[in-house]
Amino acid sequence: MARDLLNPILQTERPKSQTPILKFEDVGFAYDGRDILKDVSFSVRRGELIALLGPSGCGKTTILNVVAGFINASHGCAFIDGKLIDRPGPDRGVVFQSYALFDWMTVRDNITFSLRCAGKSRKERREVAERMTNLVGLGGFEDRYPYQLSGGMRQRCGLARVLAANPKVMLMDEPFAAVDVQTRETLQEEILNVKEKMGSTILFVTHSIDEAVFLADRIFVITNLAQGQYLDIPVNLPSPRSSPSNRLHPDFLALREDIYLRMRTDKPAVTAVSNEGAAK
Amino acid sequence: MTKSKRAMEHQRYVFLAAVSPLAILGVWILAVGQGWVKGTILPSPAVVVNSLVDMFENGYAGVSIFTHIGYSMMRVLTAYVIGSALGIIVGMLRGRIAWIDAIFLVPGEILRPIPPLGMIPLFILWFGVGELSKIILIFVCVFLIMMVNAHAGALACPPDSIRAAQTLGANRRQIFLYVIFPSALPQIMTGLRIAMGSALSVLVASELLGGDRGLGFLVLDASNFFRTSYVFSGIIIIGFIGLVSERGLAWISRRVVHWQGSR
Repeated sequence: MARDLLNPILQTERPKSQTPILKFEDVGFAYDGRDILKDVSFSVRRGELIALLGPSGCGKTTILNVVAGFINASHGCAFIDGKLIDRPGPDRGVVFQSYALFDWMTVRDNITFSLRCAGKSRKERREVAERMTNLVGLGGFEDRYPYQLSGGMRQRCGLARVLAANPKVMLMDEPFAAVDVQTRETLQEEILNVKEKMGSTILFVTHSIDEAVFLADRIFVITNLAQGQYLDIPVNLPSPRSSPSNRLHPDFLALREDIYLRMRTDKPAVTAVSNEGAAK
Repeated sequence: MTKSKRAMEHQRYVFLAAVSPLAILGVWILAVGQGWVKGTILPSPAVVVNSLVDMFENGYAGVSIFTHIGYSMMRVLTAYVIGSALGIIVGMLRGRIAWIDAIFLVPGEILRPIPPLGMIPLFILWFGVGELSKIILIFVCVFLIMMVNAHAGALACPPDSIRAAQTLGANRRQIFLYVIFPSALPQIMTGLRIAMGSALSVLVASELLGGDRGLGFLVLDASNFFRTSYVFSGIIIIGFIGLVSERGLAWISRRVVHWQGSR
């Protein structure tokens, strides 16, 4: 599959292959002899946005870390586009909660870091930087340093940096946890715009039900990952998904309430409830 | 409002920075003028200025003062450049590669508490009384300071920055060059400032190792002959070089690590 790094924006059509872009097969991860993940299985299709929803310490970030290759599964296997994941790579980009921008580099150099590592020319890097800053609403800020930006703008930069690397899957670990509510809602809408344009596949970790329902095509409500348990809930909201009016849509409110009640009940969760939207 | 307040605070800062040395000078003049201390122990500022002028006009020990300054600077800068370059390299590697850390751990920590004066007899035996032993003495001091600082800097790199670089396709060399090294720069710059001060103070000790050139020699020689005002003149020149180099390094540091303190 020839991936045209130069024209990521034009790449609205991707091969709708049947093989899942991301697949977990009975993945387990133990830390200090304690199971964090056990027998976790799921698959993600191209262009899907999956929200991993659950309280702190439930293991949702661990899933992200396995996908990113920061940690290795102690049992089972994780695959990216059919390839076994055993280390970090540019096919899986991460947007960090802490931004993790390089303070000593300008916005332009941050965004095009992956191109620099791949030995691309200065000219090409400038072009990509310009396109990416325009895409995420950072146009004109190319020569600023991260510390000269607001929290929301820093995360736009973090997003553009990942987009420029053109990964197969984007991993977002509570990326908007540190920005104010208004900025967060704007950024959520822009994530959906970007996803629409680029056909990105996104794994999005959050503990906010609202955020999960607004963004996701499917929500994995994490109940007990140490026993491989989570709920797989499809989201069906009107297109365009980025429309702010969706936040007041009856389906949005109903699903939010449904998930809220499920998360609050002490009833034992069902293992991987498969809905019609789930791919297997 | 806040801007004028900040400007006022800055004015007060500059004012105090200028007044404090003048106050010391005032106490000095007073102490000598009132006869509280003898001139051979603490000469008056006027006498010290006379000695300074005399040194600049006629040299010291038959040699121009600029020759003394030149010799000392040559020793300090040679040791400083080589010492910091090697110290930074070894310290950074220690921060990232466990086996290199293991090699330098015990020798480094045993050497560090030894005062440079204590090494002088050994250095005379090993390297003689020429330039080499003087430079090596300053070098050891600079190297150890820079190694410790660069080591701490390399360890201070946020794990998320390294992870971000990995997911953007950086290899080990690129991560080291573009991520770990720049994030260690704040500590490295601090180290460079500390090491410059220490290098100048070890300079005097290093010039105990014989020779008849250099500011350290000048101070020691004047002290041997109870020419206290010349001792003070030498100290003032060394101190002035220290002040200028420290302020210069601080200025460079603010520009190199521009992101520091503004996050």
